[in-house]
Amino acid sequence: MALKRRLTDWRNRLVSSAFIFRHNRAGVIGLVIVLFFISMAIFAPFIAPFNPYERIDRSLLPPGGVYLLGTNDMGQDIFSELIWGARVSLSIGFTVALVVMFIGTTVGVVAGYTGGLVDEVLMRFADIILVLPSIPLMILIAAIMGRHNFYVMILALSVVGWGGLARMVRAVTLSLKERTFVEAARALGASGGHIMAKHILPNTAPLILSSVIYQAVGAMMAEAGLAFLGLGDPTAKSWGMMLHYAQTAGGWWGANGNPMWNWIIPPGLCIALVVLGLMLVGQAVEEIVNPRLRRRR
Amino acid sequence: MKAYLVKRALSLFITFLVVMSAIFFLARSGADPFAEFIESDPRIPPEAVERLRHRFGLDKPLWQQYLDFMVSMFQGEFGYSVTFRRPVFDVIMVRLPWTLMLLTTSIVISTIGAVFLGAYAAWNRGKKIDLIGTNISLFVRALPHFWLGMVFLLVFGYYYRLFPLYGVKTSGIEYANVFEQVKDLLWHLTLPLATLIIRQIGMYTLYMRGETLEVLGEDFITTAKAKGLSDRTVLFRHAVRTSLLPMVTVTALRFGFMVNGAILTETVFSLPGTGRLIYQAITSGDFFLLQGAFFITSITVLIANLVADILYSHLDPRVRY
Repeated sequence: MALKRRLTDWRNRLVSSAFIFRHNRAGVIGLVIVLFFISMAIFAPFIAPFNPYERIDRSLLPPGGVYLLGTNDMGQDIFSELIWGARVSLSIGFTVALVVMFIGTTVGVVAGYTGGLVDEVLMRFADIILVLPSIPLMILIAAIMGRHNFYVMILALSVVGWGGLARMVRAVTLSLKERTFVEAARALGASGGHIMAKHILPNTAPLILSSVIYQAVGAMMAEAGLAFLGLGDPTAKSWGMMLHYAQTAGGWWGANGNPMWNWIIPPGLCIALVVLGLMLVGQAVEEIVNPRLRRRR
Repeated sequence: MKAYLVKRALSLFITFLVVMSAIFFLARSGADPFAEFIESDPRIPPEAVERLRHRFGLDKPLWQQYLDFMVSMFQGEFGYSVTFRRPVFDVIMVRLPWTLMLLTTSIVISTIGAVFLGAYAAWNRGKKIDLIGTNISLFVRALPHFWLGMVFLLVFGYYYRLFPLYGVKTSGIEYANVFEQVKDLLWHLTLPLATLIIRQIGMYTLYMRGETLEVLGEDFITTAKAKGLSDRTVLFRHAVRTSLLPMVTVTALRFGFMVNGAILTETVFSLPGTGRLIYQAITSGDFFLLQGAFFITSITVLIANLVADILYSHLDPRVRY
């Protein structure tokens, strides 16, 4: 019975949220862009005309003809690379966003609710992460792990990403823990863990949901930079990685000394479009979560 | 006030010690650069290698090395770079001016730009110019800035041949006078600076707009308007002054981001700066260089934070510690 009521409650909320979202034209455009790239990632094997890891023709061919965007220095089809790149870039972006959400929320709630020394230590770490420039830190982590693969990228990007969210969640937790419903739970003898998980966490959910999209944006941007510097996984080429090869392996001189726009422009454009789409969706979600923004428009 | 600043400085100092300790142990957990670069060189006799190791304290136990490291850092003694075969201090000092010039110039110009554009957009809130402005800055924020640099290089460097493709000066040139030298330098730095400035204006215009909107809703603005002051006076004398405060904090926090910007921009435009140096130090496992570069970077970022705190308390009469 209680479950049924909760389900209808959730459904109603979803419907009204969707209603608000639909009236935000920019948000809808953003969603369309993001969905376009997500389907590109999912159906990559069916869309891409060639295997992006296979030499199929002479290297550094100009665009046009069979190879829509020409070939790279290894004689691989750039258009196919671009389509498969969506998989790598998006999956790293979303995975890191989830990991960061998990770490940031846990640290934020625990620090805010427990207070004292735990709070002090955790926040000092968050400050260090926030203050230090992220790229050197990520390169260092990648260098120590010794390999460049998907998981090392996730680790490096997550380690530098959780500070801001943790601070935000902590601030909300600090105000939540003074509310009467938390006090009531404590008076009934609920343990700290129970209060954090059942009373505080659900109330931070809206904030976390809207920030997770921006986390994905940050992660994708950071991944692009890191991969551009050559620290990506060569067996899973992301768009940043493509730019790295374009920069170092022939994009600037091509087959006859001319730069290859067909190699340099498309990967960056894809990153920009996905990020733009996500930011538009993020703004729309923020409006749903924070009604104040709605009225101020 | 004083007590607060002392406390803040102390806390930043502790942060700094933690950071440097972390860097020390992280750097040592990688490969031994002496083994890689010097011992493998057949021209260097083993006794000389031993002497070098001894001279830089690498034959001592790790904890001893750690203590030595923490002390010598503060004496400006950063050790020896095996990749450059020169003292780390010299290597850094040759490159630091380029990065500082790039960063300070772009920060100053972009802050001024963001303040004016943001205030202007806020004043014309909801009008066409505001909508166009906010949309453009949203789009700029979505661009990976190193890629923006590549596009600039492609269009203005290769296709139109307006700007040089790499470096900070024309090779083999003898300058007739200082004026010529500055001109050549600016010509080389136009595209990198444009990349950094456009990116930052995109990021902070929206922020400034939000802050100004907040201030424009306050009572003293209504009072100023009611007194019959001109729009320009209300906006710049009353509103912008107040909304500048948060920009100070943001500007300080930007230093961390700017180091990232420096690494990527210096890579795209092949500039001889410290950003590129950090990257080289890490990938080659040159740990003295790495420690030195991180020392300089973190101390700059932390001092910027402290300065922001001090400035803030001076600028905002409401802040009392």
